[in-house]
Amino acid sequence: MSRFFRGGESDSDSESEDYSSSSSDEDQKGSGSDDSNSNSSDSSDSSDSDSDADRAPKKGADFFKKGAFSDSDEDSDDDSKKVVKSARDKRFDEMRLAVKGVKNAQKINDWVAIQNEFEKLNKGYAKANAIIQREGVPRFYIRTIIELEDFMKEALTNKDAIKKMNASSSRALNAMKQRLRKHNKQYEADIEKFRATPVDEDASAEEAEILAAAAAKKTPRRHVSDSEESDSDDDDAPAGRDKWVKVSGDEGSDSDAGVKKSSKERRKLAKAAAAEAAGAEAAGDEFQVVGKGGKVFEVKPENLFKKLQEMIEARGKKGTDRQVQMDNLLRILEVASSPYQKVKVLLALIPSRFDSTSTSTGYMGVEVWKNAASELNALFGYLEENTGLCIVETNEEEDEETAAEAKFNNGEDVIIRGSLSSLIDRLDDEFTKSLQHIDPHTLDYISRLRDETSLYGLLVRAQKYFERIESPLAVDQTKMRRIEHLYYKPDLVIQAVEKEVRTLYPTLNETLEQPEELVENLCTSLYNTNVDRVRTRALLCHVYHLALHDKFERARDMLLMSHLQDHVGQTEVFTQILFNRTMVQIGLCAFRAGMVRETANALQEISSSGKVKELLAQGVQIQRFSEKTPEQERLEKQRQLPFHMHINLELLECVYLTSSMLLEIPNMAANAHEPRRKVISKPFRRMLDYNERQIFTGPPENTRDHVMGAAKALAAGEWQRCEELIHAVKIWDLMPKADKIKEMLTHKIKEEGLRTYFFTYSPYYDSIGMTQLASMFDLPVPAVRGIVSRMIINEEIEASIDQPTATVILHRAGASGGEVSRLEHLAGAYSDRVSSLVESNEKLLEARSQHLGLQQAQQQQSSGQRGDRSDNYRGGQHHGGSSRGGKQQGGVSGGGDRRGPGGDRGPRQSGYGDRSGGGDRNANRSGRGGGRGGNQGSRVGR
Amino acid sequence: MAQYDLTAKIGAYLDRHMVAPLLEFLLGQEIYPHEDVLTAKYDLLSKTKMIDYTDLIYREIHGIEDENVHEPGFEERRAVVLKKFEELTEKSSEIMDMIQDPVVIQQLKQDKLANIQFLTENYNFKPEMLNSLYDFALCNYATGNYEPAAVMLYHFRILSTDYDQNVSSLWGKLAAEILTQNWDVAYDDLNRLKEMIEQRNFTSHLQALQQRSWLIHWSLFVFFNHPKGRDGIVDLFFQPQYLNTIQTACPWILRYLATAAVVNKKRRNVLKDLIRVIQQESHAYRDPITEFIEALYVNFDFDGAQQKLKECDDVIANDFFLVSLQEDFKENGRLFIFETYCRIHQCIDIKDVSAKLNLNAEDGEKWIVNLIRNARMDAKIDSKTNTVIMGTQQNSIYQQVIERTKALSFRSSLLASNIEKREQELQNRRKGNDGNNKTGGGKKQGGGGGRKPQKEGGDESARAHSSETPSAFARTVGDE
Repeated sequence: MSRFFRGGESDSDSESEDYSSSSSDEDQKGSGSDDSNSNSSDSSDSSDSDSDADRAPKKGADFFKKGAFSDSDEDSDDDSKKVVKSARDKRFDEMRLAVKGVKNAQKINDWVAIQNEFEKLNKGYAKANAIIQREGVPRFYIRTIIELEDFMKEALTNKDAIKKMNASSSRALNAMKQRLRKHNKQYEADIEKFRATPVDEDASAEEAEILAAAAAKKTPRRHVSDSEESDSDDDDAPAGRDKWVKVSGDEGSDSDAGVKKSSKERRKLAKAAAAEAAGAEAAGDEFQVVGKGGKVFEVKPENLFKKLQEMIEARGKKGTDRQVQMDNLLRILEVASSPYQKVKVLLALIPSRFDSTSTSTGYMGVEVWKNAASELNALFGYLEENTGLCIVETNEEEDEETAAEAKFNNGEDVIIRGSLSSLIDRLDDEFTKSLQHIDPHTLDYISRLRDETSLYGLLVRAQKYFERIESPLAVDQTKMRRIEHLYYKPDLVIQAVEKEVRTLYPTLNETLEQPEELVENLCTSLYNTNVDRVRTRALLCHVYHLALHDKFERARDMLLMSHLQDHVGQTEVFTQILFNRTMVQIGLCAFRAGMVRETANALQEISSSGKVKELLAQGVQIQRFSEKTPEQERLEKQRQLPFHMHINLELLECVYLTSSMLLEIPNMAANAHEPRRKVISKPFRRMLDYNERQIFTGPPENTRDHVMGAAKALAAGEWQRCEELIHAVKIWDLMPKADKIKEMLTHKIKEEGLRTYFFTYSPYYDSIGMTQLASMFDLPVPAVRGIVSRMIINEEIEASIDQPTATVILHRAGASGGEVSRLEHLAGAYSDRVSSLVESNEKLLEARSQHLGLQQAQQQQSSGQRGDRSDNYRGGQHHGGSSRGGKQQGGVSGGGDRRGPGGDRGPRQSGYGDRSGGGDRNANRSGRGGGRGGNQGSRVGR
Repeated sequence: MAQYDLTAKIGAYLDRHMVAPLLEFLLGQEIYPHEDVLTAKYDLLSKTKMIDYTDLIYREIHGIEDENVHEPGFEERRAVVLKKFEELTEKSSEIMDMIQDPVVIQQLKQDKLANIQFLTENYNFKPEMLNSLYDFALCNYATGNYEPAAVMLYHFRILSTDYDQNVSSLWGKLAAEILTQNWDVAYDDLNRLKEMIEQRNFTSHLQALQQRSWLIHWSLFVFFNHPKGRDGIVDLFFQPQYLNTIQTACPWILRYLATAAVVNKKRRNVLKDLIRVIQQESHAYRDPITEFIEALYVNFDFDGAQQKLKECDDVIANDFFLVSLQEDFKENGRLFIFETYCRIHQCIDIKDVSAKLNLNAEDGEKWIVNLIRNARMDAKIDSKTNTVIMGTQQNSIYQQVIERTKALSFRSSLLASNIEKREQELQNRRKGNDGNNKTGGGKKQGGGGGRKPQKEGGDESARAHSSETPSAFARTVGDE
């Protein structure tokens, strides 16, 4: 029984992976040949196309080997130690068990047992219904019921035996008779067929198996396809065939079977021919016949489209084996002859490649990707050769394939529906995904990166194609992808890639542009697109590229003109990441150009955030108090950039800290009195504080230590030490033209050192000779003069230059003619604040009176004030008013004074007010009166 | 000098006819070969309808003396233009008669629609006539008859209600006025055009940018010729939208802006903006004039500034717009250098500074004396050491604090009395409201009437207030 089962199974198995794994488990205990078989059937998952070829010459041996295989397989069928079983196996095993039971019971003529076992078998059949539906009624089942029927007939004719039976047994026999008659009616066709090809019981076990297999294959197939004409059956067919061929094809080395080969083969072929004749109309659907050319004949140019259609429809359905589908499509592709056919098949094949992405690794296998890429390439090749063909995403009506092909052959234009851009997108995305997942420090990563050239070539090709079919949207998308592969690369790489693309596709007659021009042209052409996202990204990439090429001004202007910084918060995350990258690149560019302030401005936001890694999508920072849902983490991981696109974070930090140092140290020196004000770079200050708090500072180890040490040296006026430390930072070597940058830094350090020196030590000098300064800081005298001049003009220091003696004369602002004391400084600050308080009060009143519609009154009031000066009469009148005001205010502030000391502050204030408001002494006096009144008022208030 | 010549850049933003004077100027400057300029001029004019003028240049290029030899196609083109001209003259004769009739003009009012109605009723006016007037004006302009074109466009603008045509006729009129050198009218037209541009809602930024950059270029003619232009250019160009336009579209205008800022003594406050813009755009545009500003105010390199000032002289002499400002610029540039120098130094060697000012020692001394005499600075000359000693204007902290706080008390008292007045006002109102409730509206009216004249007085004084406060205050302090 199990032999038949095997045969049937291998015919119509759709879960080959499960099956082969289970069978290989079993086979472990089988013969050596089994081992090789299972191994190769496992590996055949990935190397199907290869096995196609070597299978070809051995077609004769196929059946035999199949036999050999299932023979040995049979041994293990009964093995009770099976561990892994597919659902299908389990069901069938159950049924097989029942069949065995029936047989055993037959032997002892126990009709009760037969009935029980038969019930069991039918139950199993019902359970396995789904599988049977798919694969047809198992051979062994039919066989059992036939045997049972025969046995019953025999039993019924033997009246004596019946009489001898006990009551229960005869009752069971009668019941069985009824049941079986009813039951077997359902399978009449199958039974008949089975009987038509009776199994020679004498034949060897193998042969029986083969025959059974051949017949069984025929029967269920017909059964289903006749009754339902279902598609699922049809796509099973190739699957089954495939399995068959695969399994058998691997058995080439099995030589001991060779002896029996010839006789069996002959018989087998005869059977196969008969079977084919029987199912003539269905022959096209079946794949078990393998022809001489080594090719699978079942897919013929005539029925190619039908098969293809079936494949496409089966795609994504439950139970469809993607691997098998892919192999079948490949086979169809081999058969396809005209470009139209090829294109159609490729359009189905490439998506099926993408389907096979395994979920465990999270990205598409490199080999599969490469296949997909080469197929896509071939697709473009066909499209380029046959300009009449074109693939459009939205095509309402598509001609019938055959009609379309005829049209194509007539040289007419044919439009196929399909989305090439989505294929390209997918390919590109899968590439990125794989880079995200491969460890960047391995060779794998590098070899994977090499594939980028072919991908880039595809993009270029696609762009050309879309340009030809005039699909502006797709052109823009492809260009965008192209830019995203270019913008962050150095010129040399771009040039190499472009050259490589031109050798790959000589048909591409695009002139080789300079990398910069190339990016510029691509980006500029995208500025007219009406997809916001593309436009924004193109702009950012362009800016990034410009910044990479030290075109700071242009990059800055472009970014500013776009006003992107205003609304970048509303864009999607990927664009924000790109924006951050661009900002960083602009900052680095500014640094290379020696623009310290611009560097700090550009990098400020990102570097001080504390989550540089996240902002640049270059890894996830572990934060202490962050609570992220797994979902968030997953999304974040998805966003990560491949390693080769990363911006060196250490370099970024170094640049930011260095520029912060150059700005912050003089700033701190200038505002020594109030260190907490006007902080330029908070992170820098924090680090510096931390560094200073340490009891013992060892020699600098990392970049940060170096910069901190340098900062302290700079603050102390030791520019040489500062320079030394900054130059000792290794990371500068990563910058292009590191020497120049160091030179620039030296220059800046000298300048800022001079400024810091001035801020820190000027209180201790009356005059400083400029030549001395120049020699101290190793600067030319005119440079010193320029720096000092700028400081004087900007009122950073109180000094002037005495030209004849070339000295800087320092002026003392302090009362004692010396340094500004802390008290004096505070007084100045205090006066500033008071005046700002008054100002804000005035504003408040104005706003309030406008609010109440009292603007009038205020104006009136000020007219009174003016009146004081212009004419006496009104002035006098006003004094009364203002003194009253004084009183009133005194009252008010007196009330307020309850809470604190200095109770007469209020009145005095009002007195002052009147004094200054009043034009003459008289007014003053009356004002004072008012003040006194106010004083009283305050007392009253108390 | 050719690298500093902006004719080509500016020309792109001008009308064909307006470039002619620029080329005319270049002919006299010897920067470019004579023939080249002539050819350029010929190319320029051959696309206008000024056939005779073009022919003249053609003959000059080819050295043709003969009166009867003309450029190829001369006769036909001339005939075509003349025919067109006559056609249009005829077509528009009706309306021309109408609008030139003093009786009609007297009866016209401000309201365009009323005017049209009036003309339609009394003078058989038809809307198509306006179009022919417009066409005729255009034809006149194209043939070089700027004055009649301006007049016609003036009348057209009085009557036409079509907005777009109105704008373009204003552009046309401005061009015509510029070409007839009617600066007063051009200045008014320029302002009108500016308002129109500012009020208009452009569909795209690009359009707005274009209109503004045209205006900027056209206005150069007016600003550098009209007496009020020196202030006008600074006021207009330093408006944020125009400054942005200059930065985005035409950085070379910075030359004119810088020159105008240097020459203008009243508008010193714009210097900071100017320096900023020049620094920002230094990568996009630089010439000796912007470099002069940069050297002086960014690098404080006086020798460099002096050097640049000398170069500026040449550039300005060869610039169509700036040539009239040559002396002014030199003088003011010198002043700039000296002023900045004085702010930094406390003791200056006259010989040295004279060299920096591009003067000999004696002239330098004279110049400085003149400056001091004109009370521009607090300085004295020490003839013994031959130096200028600057008066120090250092304030001690004590003084600074007083300086900063002395106005506060006055302001506070003002504030206090303001509050008090408000209280009173509120009380009065409340009372008034109560009264109203009892006696009706009579009292309220009275109250309102009583308030009103006061308010007017208040208005006036509020305006005067700001200017008078400091002096009044100073007096009070003095009293103390």
